[in-house]
Amino acid sequence: MKALWGRVSARPEFITLGLIVLLVLGVSLLEPRFFSPQNLVATIRTTTRLGIFALGVLLVLAAGGIDVSFTAIGVFALYTTTTLTLMFFPTAPFALMLIVSMTLGALMGLLNGFMVWRFAVPSLIVTIGTQYLFTGFLKTFVGTKHIMDIPAAMDSSGTASLLQFSTADGVRVTLPLLFLVLVVTAVLTHLLLTRTLMGRAVFAVGGSSAIAGRLGFSVRTVQLFVFGTAGLIAGLGGMVHGSLNRLANPSDLVGTELDVIAAVVLGGARVSGGSGTVIGALLGVVLVVLINNSLILIGVPSTWQKVVIGGVILVASGVFSKRSGA
Amino acid sequence: MTPSPTPSPTTPRADALLRLEGISKTFGGVKALNNVSLELQAGRVYHLLGENGSGKSTLIKIIAGAQPPDAGQIIVRGQSYNQLGALEAIRAGIETVYQDLSLFPNLSVAENVALTTQLDLNGGQLARMLDWGKVKRIAIKALERVGLPTHAGFLAAPVETLPIAVRQLVAIARGIAARASLVIMDEPTAALTQREVENLLLIISSLREEGVSVLFVSHKLEEVFRIGGSVIVLRDGVKVLDGALSDYDETKISFVMTGKQLDQTTYRTGQPQSEVLLEVSNLARGTAFADVSFALHRGEVLGITGLLDSGRNELALALSGVHPATSGEVRLEGSAVQIRNPRDAISLGLGYVPEDRLTEGLFLTKPIRENTVVTVIDTLLKGIQLNFAAMTAKAVGFVKDLQIATPSVDLPVSSLSGGNQQRVMVARWLATKPKVLMLHGPTAGVDVGSKDALYKLVQRLAEGGMGVIIVSDDLPELLMNTDRILVMKKGRIAKEFTTADLEKDLLTQTLLSEDSSAQQ
Repeated sequence: MKALWGRVSARPEFITLGLIVLLVLGVSLLEPRFFSPQNLVATIRTTTRLGIFALGVLLVLAAGGIDVSFTAIGVFALYTTTTLTLMFFPTAPFALMLIVSMTLGALMGLLNGFMVWRFAVPSLIVTIGTQYLFTGFLKTFVGTKHIMDIPAAMDSSGTASLLQFSTADGVRVTLPLLFLVLVVTAVLTHLLLTRTLMGRAVFAVGGSSAIAGRLGFSVRTVQLFVFGTAGLIAGLGGMVHGSLNRLANPSDLVGTELDVIAAVVLGGARVSGGSGTVIGALLGVVLVVLINNSLILIGVPSTWQKVVIGGVILVASGVFSKRSGA
Repeated sequence: MTPSPTPSPTTPRADALLRLEGISKTFGGVKALNNVSLELQAGRVYHLLGENGSGKSTLIKIIAGAQPPDAGQIIVRGQSYNQLGALEAIRAGIETVYQDLSLFPNLSVAENVALTTQLDLNGGQLARMLDWGKVKRIAIKALERVGLPTHAGFLAAPVETLPIAVRQLVAIARGIAARASLVIMDEPTAALTQREVENLLLIISSLREEGVSVLFVSHKLEEVFRIGGSVIVLRDGVKVLDGALSDYDETKISFVMTGKQLDQTTYRTGQPQSEVLLEVSNLARGTAFADVSFALHRGEVLGITGLLDSGRNELALALSGVHPATSGEVRLEGSAVQIRNPRDAISLGLGYVPEDRLTEGLFLTKPIRENTVVTVIDTLLKGIQLNFAAMTAKAVGFVKDLQIATPSVDLPVSSLSGGNQQRVMVARWLATKPKVLMLHGPTAGVDVGSKDALYKLVQRLAEGGMGVIIVSDDLPELLMNTDRILVMKKGRIAKEFTTADLEKDLLTQTLLSEDSSAQQ
């Protein structure tokens, strides 16, 4: 028992996985439709959208920061890229649009990183400020109208399927191709965090930036990298989100950052920094998405979803703090 | 007896591993280092000695590149720097085992040991793949050398899950993992058992044989003499000795370190009364201290000393209610009392002036007035409002009484010098009219003039019938002010001295001796 606890506490993702299994078992007993292909694909679609953002959040949390501006960055990059494409190059390939969106995101992220490093302000404050700044700038200078008529490449990429089949009762189910974006980004982020010197420097700075500086790590480089990359991932996430929804809405996303941060924390990353894994963050996202989906399925009012997620966060944080508490 | 003359600034030698020329560093008006020059040769062991606050840690940080000097040159193998960056120092082959260990609590043992060597190998560039196999090989080699396990479970264990002695060994392993030319060890033995210390001494001699220099800092003179080599002594930021250890003995070194015996002045004026004011019986708290019993008489000044890990700090914190004792009895004026928290201590009349007035006591940005009266703020009300006139009157009274040098009690405490800040701290507790006043390291970072004023105040208070306890590692301070001195070791009172007929040398030796011969 003690050995088991030791292994679990070393790998908090197990707790998240355990919660997912419990939830799936419980809900499938109450509602057999839970295992339907439609529901599975719906879960994957939502996981794709939240999961990409979660990877950026994970990076920042691992380095001991917190970023609440990523939704603003995502929507800014999405809407601006869509607007620019329609204006100058309506037939642009999707890859080019992704590159523009990611570049915009990276630049905004670098601004976050620069402010955090240069003025030594807590990143929460900086990113609250830049969230307002980016959102306000977008609506003032770029536009406020929904763009339903998105560029063709964006539309086709959003509807392209990785897997398509019809269920017994004749419903066509499509697993979106863009799911692969999440897979690729997750693998790259995992390799970055575990196999590169930069990745370990991120955890070192997250453990203690003072010690990291004393031992010769460039804290400035790490912070610029982390926030810049988180911005880049947010730019990517924004574009994928817009493509899947086939809509560029300047009021989208902002306000949902806590859902993503909560998911990453549920995956075992400490808010105090220096910990977290890609697999944990993704499991956290799956858990949050499943709670939302399954509660709807079993007929729990949507207002109750927040209560459940809040409760799960409190219980999980209690377990995690017991793990870290010595 | 005078310290041997400081050698004139060393003549440059081509083969010097590290040379410092005229290094100075000032913190908030206090000169931590004043024109320090020294030279370290390859393959030798140097001991950097000095009392707390003598500038040792600052000097180490400057050599390790953690802090820039205000003035002076650092010359590493002929290459001259105005200041070293952390990475430059590591690249120049200088590895440091910091007193605070500087380990990443969240990272594994293997990474803590070997990550900085990887950073160094890549010239500080982070955009590189990490060779985990290499990290593990380097870590295993270093861990074997310090006698730690090397199995996968230990390599992967986060440092925060390890006991403190193991962390110390991990920090040492990191220091020797890189092929350094100079390893600095700042009090590496404080947390180690005798067996681990023996192993460390072996490591040091093998490093020396490999041509690696070691700069060793320890308060345990016995260890210092067993290792041997050269000695550099700092006192109040000035280098007062630089020579071969074999030319000195423990007594002489202690003398050079403190250098204050020439002041024959004693401040102690009064006599303790016969009535026992405070009686402590079998007081204990966890592993920090146990079996502590002593009595404090009315009008008595009692000194308590010991090394950093002796339990003296924990005892002081227990009596002040900050970290209460877990068992034992305290009687005040004959009746048993409970000290469960600082509030209890204050209402019982036990005043406590903490060691670190910046973090444990003063509200630096708040006015002197508020800082002075905060302990008695509940007596200075007008209805539910604060009575500012009464607060000001009280604070002004203390400013006059304790000669706090300030034009106004409206100024923030941060505007005062260290000595005057300390007086504000004392005033705050005198305002509670305590029966017992505990002063913890009362003159650390305080200039000579303020020391003098504080000592005179202590004597005045004792003559007024207060019992005073001074917890300090400043031995001359205890000798000049107290009636009795308790020496703590390993959480127990090892020896009690009557101050009047006590030689400083004996006290120093008792304090520093490792063996138990002085304990009974």
